[in-house]
Amino acid sequence: MADGTKIRLDFRKRLGSFTLEVNCTLEAKVSAFLGPSGSGKSTLLNCISGTLAPDDGEIAFGEEVLYASASKINLPPEKRRFGYVFQEGYLFPHLTVAQNIRYGQPKPRKSSAAIDVLEISEFLQRYPRELSGGQRQRVAIARALAMEPRMLLMDEPLASLDSALKERIIPYLHHVKDTFDIPILYITHAFSEAMALADEAFLIANGTIIANGEPHRLLTAPAAMPIAQLTGVENTLFLPVTASDKARGLILLEIGDQALVIPYTDIGIGEIVPVAVRAEDIIISLEPDLSISARNILKGTIQYLDIKSEYTWLSILIDWHHLAVKITHAARKQLQLQEGSEVYCVIKASAINLLWD
Amino acid sequence: MRITAAEVAALSLSIKVALLSLIVTFPLGLLVGWLLAKRTFPGKAFLNTLVMLPLVLPPIVSGYLLLILLGKHGFIGRFIYQTFGIEIVFSELAVVIAVSVISFPLLVRGIVTGMEAVPVELENAARTLGASPIKVFFTITLPMAHRGIIGGTILGFSKSLGEFGATIMVAGNIPGKTQTMALAIFSAVHLGEDVSVYRLVFISTLVAFAAIWLTERFTLR
Repeated sequence: MADGTKIRLDFRKRLGSFTLEVNCTLEAKVSAFLGPSGSGKSTLLNCISGTLAPDDGEIAFGEEVLYASASKINLPPEKRRFGYVFQEGYLFPHLTVAQNIRYGQPKPRKSSAAIDVLEISEFLQRYPRELSGGQRQRVAIARALAMEPRMLLMDEPLASLDSALKERIIPYLHHVKDTFDIPILYITHAFSEAMALADEAFLIANGTIIANGEPHRLLTAPAAMPIAQLTGVENTLFLPVTASDKARGLILLEIGDQALVIPYTDIGIGEIVPVAVRAEDIIISLEPDLSISARNILKGTIQYLDIKSEYTWLSILIDWHHLAVKITHAARKQLQLQEGSEVYCVIKASAINLLWD
Repeated sequence: MRITAAEVAALSLSIKVALLSLIVTFPLGLLVGWLLAKRTFPGKAFLNTLVMLPLVLPPIVSGYLLLILLGKHGFIGRFIYQTFGIEIVFSELAVVIAVSVISFPLLVRGIVTGMEAVPVELENAARTLGASPIKVFFTITLPMAHRGIIGGTILGFSKSLGEFGATIMVAGNIPGKTQTMALAIFSAVHLGEDVSVYRLVFISTLVAFAAIWLTERFTLR
């Protein structure tokens, strides 16, 4: 993005015992803030939109300072021209869809790219209560775009929709991203959405940014310990679906030249899905031929071994994916594990969780 | 059995006073209601108490306090008398002031209830869409709170129509000048004019019934 649309965030906001503290620059076309609920994502967005004043610091859009505690600048929300899409939509219930769209339009006009892109022209005359959840959210996005914003802020726009509906809205978001030449700040707790849309992701937990980078790399990085803190799950992998067997209740994912078996859900072949495994749910074996119920016995190499006071942590490389595994010191000694050892990771299919929500 | 001229005068005075009072209190009620429903500021609890006080005080007490304030030797009354040469008490203006003070809490209560029910998130959403606080007030807060506002207005208006205690203290009971419906009924009962009492009571009940019914229609759904 051009320098004029860089967003510089450097501020603090205290709410009770919680403190949000950010210091970062958003330069990508779509930046995602990824974190669990209560991590401060919405507070962050409210500070950027101007509906909430930070305690101190600075917020700037390109050269323009929107908030600066030092020089007592705090531009009101109506002067910031940031389109805001709320999780709950917040359409005005007493206005029709058309009136909602017109509300923020700088000049009244009949046609609007927002109406076309979101495909809402059929229900312009209806009231919000007459729309389905997905339609409402499309109208909310169109309303934010119709005001001709210089940036789009989206606060979990898909969180209140069920997964089937989410799948249908995501293409619209892609269409918005391609049609409108403005930066987008997207807030979500869903890995899949950040993966699908963002060019850069920021992991946020307890009010602090703990990592940032290109979403795919960020989430598959070997030392993705931030992910562990976020979810309590040490391993997150993004793997393509290679086969789906409803009769046996299984799905096969590709991990290098091996297959990872997980319980069946309705996912198309070829899709890349995020899966999570806890470090303590993985058993290490030196032998591949085990008569056990676990469906996954994956060959890998111990890349490094980290001996902590209570447990030994292993980082096992399978193709280019890393798995963090937690074992006891006794197990490490008995199996004589060392860096470079070839081992088998035994994982029950049911211990692998799909990260769709 | 025809309605007498005095009864017509009392009825029309009640309606006139209630309408005048509404014109004065409605904009003020919107402002105070908005402050109480949407803002936080020092002295908010005091303002709320002050506004609601006449609802709890016996109207006679409210009327007496007004009499002290507005009388020729009162804090406000003396100032008005010396500046404009107007004597407030025992005039039509006194009736308007009395019914305004007594009906104001009902009006404000309805407005506050209506405005409190408008989610602040919707108002913030409007701000992000470029609306100034004033535009938000007129396009979001006011239309969305309309049921509470209409309810408060009707209740306040009907309270004004029937106000008795404060009116008789500040404005007296002067037929043709400050004698409203409620005061006319009071006089008629005292004088034993039963037929007149029946007519006035019937009209009052009709008005009250219509007011409550209208309120229910607009506020419930």
